[in-house]
Amino acid sequence: MSADHRPATVEALAALVRARAGAPASASGARRGLRIAGAATWMDAGHPVREAEHLSLGAFRGIEAYTPADLTISVGAATTLAELDAATAAHGQWCPLLPWGDDHGTVGATIATATTGPFAERLGRPRQLVLGVECVDGTGRIVRAGGRVVKNVAGFDLTRAVTGAWGTLAVITRLHLRLRARPAVDVTLAVACPATEAATSRLAAFTRGPLAPLGVVAVEAADAAAIGAPGATHLVRLGGNAALVREARTAVGSLGAVTELEAAAWSTIRARLAPAPRLTGWRWDALASRLRDRFDPARILNPGLLGDPT
Amino acid sequence: MNRDQELREGLDACVHCGFCLPACPTYLALEDENDSPRGRVLLMAALADGTVRADDRDITAHLDACLGCRGCETACPSGVPYGLLLEETRARLAKARPVPFVARLVLAVFAREWLLRPALAFARLARGSGLAALLARVLPAGFGMPFAMLASTARPAARVWTPEGDGARGTTALLTGCVMEGLFASVNRATERVLIATGHALRDAPGQRCCGALHAHAGDRATAQVLARDNIAAFERSGADTIVVNSAGCGAMCKEYGHLLADDPAWSARAAAFAAKVRDAHEVLAAAAPVLPATADGPRVRVAYDAPCHLQHAQRVVQPPLAVLRAAPQVALVPLADSDQCCGSAGIYNLVMPDVSSRVLAPKLARIAESGAQVVATGNPGCLMQIGGGLVRSGSGVSARHPVELLDEGYARGAGRD
Amino acid sequence: MTPLGPELRRIVGDAHVLERASQLLAYRSDALPGLRRAPALAVFPGARDELIAVVRALAAHGAPFVARGAGTGLSGGALADGVTLLGLHRLKRILALDPEARTATVEPGVVNALLTRAAAPHGLHYAPDPSSQAACTIGGNVAENAGGPHCLKYGVTLDHVLRATVVLPDGEVVILDRGDEAPGYDLLGAFIGSEGCFGVVADVTVRLTPDPERVITLLADFTTVRAAADATSRIIAAGILPAALELMDRPTIEAVESSIYAAGYPRDAAAVLLVEVDGAAAGLDDDAAAVEALCRAAGARGVRTATDPAERARLWQGRKKAFGAMGRVAPHLVVQDAVVPRTRLAELLDTIAAIGARHRVRICNVFHAGDGNLHPNIPYDAHDADEAARVHAAMGEVMAACIAAGGTITGEHGVGLDKLPYMERLFTADTLDAMCALRDVFDPARRANPGKVVPVHSCREWHAAPAARGLP
Repeated sequence: MSADHRPATVEALAALVRARAGAPASASGARRGLRIAGAATWMDAGHPVREAEHLSLGAFRGIEAYTPADLTISVGAATTLAELDAATAAHGQWCPLLPWGDDHGTVGATIATATTGPFAERLGRPRQLVLGVECVDGTGRIVRAGGRVVKNVAGFDLTRAVTGAWGTLAVITRLHLRLRARPAVDVTLAVACPATEAATSRLAAFTRGPLAPLGVVAVEAADAAAIGAPGATHLVRLGGNAALVREARTAVGSLGAVTELEAAAWSTIRARLAPAPRLTGWRWDALASRLRDRFDPARILNPGLLGDPT
Repeated sequence: MNRDQELREGLDACVHCGFCLPACPTYLALEDENDSPRGRVLLMAALADGTVRADDRDITAHLDACLGCRGCETACPSGVPYGLLLEETRARLAKARPVPFVARLVLAVFAREWLLRPALAFARLARGSGLAALLARVLPAGFGMPFAMLASTARPAARVWTPEGDGARGTTALLTGCVMEGLFASVNRATERVLIATGHALRDAPGQRCCGALHAHAGDRATAQVLARDNIAAFERSGADTIVVNSAGCGAMCKEYGHLLADDPAWSARAAAFAAKVRDAHEVLAAAAPVLPATADGPRVRVAYDAPCHLQHAQRVVQPPLAVLRAAPQVALVPLADSDQCCGSAGIYNLVMPDVSSRVLAPKLARIAESGAQVVATGNPGCLMQIGGGLVRSGSGVSARHPVELLDEGYARGAGRD
Repeated sequence: MTPLGPELRRIVGDAHVLERASQLLAYRSDALPGLRRAPALAVFPGARDELIAVVRALAAHGAPFVARGAGTGLSGGALADGVTLLGLHRLKRILALDPEARTATVEPGVVNALLTRAAAPHGLHYAPDPSSQAACTIGGNVAENAGGPHCLKYGVTLDHVLRATVVLPDGEVVILDRGDEAPGYDLLGAFIGSEGCFGVVADVTVRLTPDPERVITLLADFTTVRAAADATSRIIAAGILPAALELMDRPTIEAVESSIYAAGYPRDAAAVLLVEVDGAAAGLDDDAAAVEALCRAAGARGVRTATDPAERARLWQGRKKAFGAMGRVAPHLVVQDAVVPRTRLAELLDTIAAIGARHRVRICNVFHAGDGNLHPNIPYDAHDADEAARVHAAMGEVMAACIAAGGTITGEHGVGLDKLPYMERLFTADTLDAMCALRDVFDPARRANPGKVVPVHSCREWHAAPAARGLP
């Protein structure tokens, strides 16, 4: 896909947006919208973007600041999940976004779409893991909200506003993220849980209990084969210190026959089970419309993507 | 330190954190920060600064509405001496405007034995004849409550037993009190018996009078000082090592005689010496650690303990009453939620401000009902009557008793079995 | 139109509207008594319908207002300068508590600790535990996005609110669901922490957290503050996630130990770390041992371990009541709040000490070290104009140092009125303008908590609107 625009700096991006926001809408439907692309993987999510030129964020890629002992990292929005993972793994850390989909997707897209993954409940949802953003809103304002620190209530929360907004309020260019230490012991198990009510409720009790795993996913036979698990199974990830994981493992053993797998099984499963991005039923109440109006009144950013009225 | 300075420093100690709000019964009932400790400290400061007038009802109404329970003091991390500030402010207010009529009447009676004794005798008559119980039932809320309180002080004839003790724990004298001796004489006798049984020698202290707590709390410091001097002299004559008080409100006052008479050079040292000897009855009894034979026979009574404010917050005596109750073999303690919250009695508050008082009492009665207790135990006559009266009026079968009474019954059972 | 006062009286009753100056004295400040602003009127609705009617009446009169819970805020956020104070403390019912779903729905005036008390019989608690939890309200917690010692592991208010019914300043009632789970903007996320500028919470549904199977509290004492900060960094870097990791320095220890909340902290220590690990019983001893070893490696003189609830409660009581205990030291107290990257803690503490020495003020540090969330507090005497000026100057420098270190000016107390002057140092003009735009989404008439959080002149479009300046 060719990029119509590939700004090198946030200032250049702001100038581009400002020029379009200020221009009168052409009756002939000239393309003044911008279709934001990180890795360009979720471009058509039910509502095709209308009348837009392609905006590549390729210039905003890479680790910008990383002090491991702070457990925070600053990255360009077009940094891929794989790059983020590699950089942090070297220090025994991770940003546990681990969303559904493959790791060639970008961090910016994950935050912009608030895409979660199998570990979100235990390790953090996107809105909990993003500490701050740099972005350019639809009026061309360069917004630097939040910060690099792990606790911050200074000012109104623009970071949460743009998280999950699918780029319709602002183009995210940089992100400050919360990191966590990788668990000292990290075990992935396939558990052949019988499909009985009793077994299901035992599994539910386990996931709600003190030995709760990092995540559990039900995997059907076809997908199970791809990770080397024998038939339909539940994929369970345990994390913590050795004693805790030992105890949890015993508990898992009582749920069904257990096969131990490599952690890489999760990448496969996250990619295979990723739901197709479909944006139906976006809530367009008065507040949502006003939010869009305040931040992108001229509908420059991903116009039409959310099915919003022009 | 003079009283001005003391007031200023006490007010300044407040950092406004608001931790006192949930500890304040009148804030919870009236839902106005003016009726909270933090608010009242501000109002007291405004009075002290002269930025508001002592006759401004918007100010004084909230200071009058304070129960003086001092529940805020144990919640306060800055150590604001709230009780002291309130007393000082009320003393100043009393000079600037008249004390309410009902309060004046009651205070006058308590300061005069020739009025107090007949009044209490008349009350006993009303109680014994069943008149109090009748009026408690038939009169509307505001008028019926005093009679319900009176009716609740009735006791079945106690099983009298003869205590034996070696007196090895030293000499004691009991502050018999006005209401205690007038309406709870059986509790006083029970206190005397268990004191002896736990190894205390008992001395008389004739000439003792009302402790003056009601007067001090209402701002009538002069009368409180007169009463205090008489009491100090009476107990000095008794020669007792320890002055035992079984009424939490009186005990708190007696422990503060040193402060009350600090300005009086002739009495300040004697007052401080007196105060140092004062102990709540539960403190004395718990220290003696009575061990009674367990009674496997006979049903145990479910008892909930409600802490009198002047014991828990003013005297900071928390565990001893529970120890006393645990020592009574027939008692099965059950927990009572919010047992540290005021019942709304607060000396004569329930007579002067019956409406607020009953709103404060309502959650107390609800918690008692939820506890499943058969008896609620509390070591203060005001609380016994307030809670007792509330229970009578609500038709509850629960009775209000003094912990020492229950210990005494435990001894009586043992004595009966031997 | 009926005048505002009588109309509000009609809605909530005479007893719950205050209009005379002497009735409003107690409402001039929150828990930051250095700032005082007198409201023109105070109204206390006692039911949801009354709340909605009150907000609509205010809207009809074009009257600005300030919502207030228990007034335990530390940034002057609930001061109503010449406008209406809307007290929510009477709305204190727990509407629903579902142990199976682990949620509770409460009115805004419910006291934080009382929610936990109600959940306790089910083995659950409400995790955000600001030090003021005994008094502060859930509504106030939502407005401030309150944290607390245990948010190191369990997250702040944002992470525990699932849904809120909000009365917008124009009187419209909207339901904000958790935004990032359903297709829609995260309006709930934007609302939480909006300091009363976006609307008033009518009810809020929160997540309840299972009580940990086991808890171990450690108290490590150090002969230098730097060593304690170093221990903090080591624990965080080692990947242990304590439930809480709190640092108290010597002036704080002295204040606490002289108060009724004396916790048995060693008075001769330069600093203590209060570290709590909790969770499943399995493996917890190993975590505690690791924390102890890391503290000793950083130079701890001793490490005490408490597992029994009474001893733990005592250790915590001292920490949670530390601000109040400082009230003993001097008549007034500045409680500050700033966050720095955790690796900069030791350096910042040195800087703060130097600033204190230069301005001859006594700075007590008691803070959430695990988050890098500093609370430098200065007890002082506001009657002494010279000392007050020095305190003010010192605080300005502390804030500047935190910003320079890549930190922020508030981690949990909010901007309110107190931190307004620092906003322009932290954020660009574009960013502040965008914050104004976000506020306009919820309150285009700018009547809710006017003059707070973002300096009025930072909002490019605001100059035309008189309400924003707090005028009727």
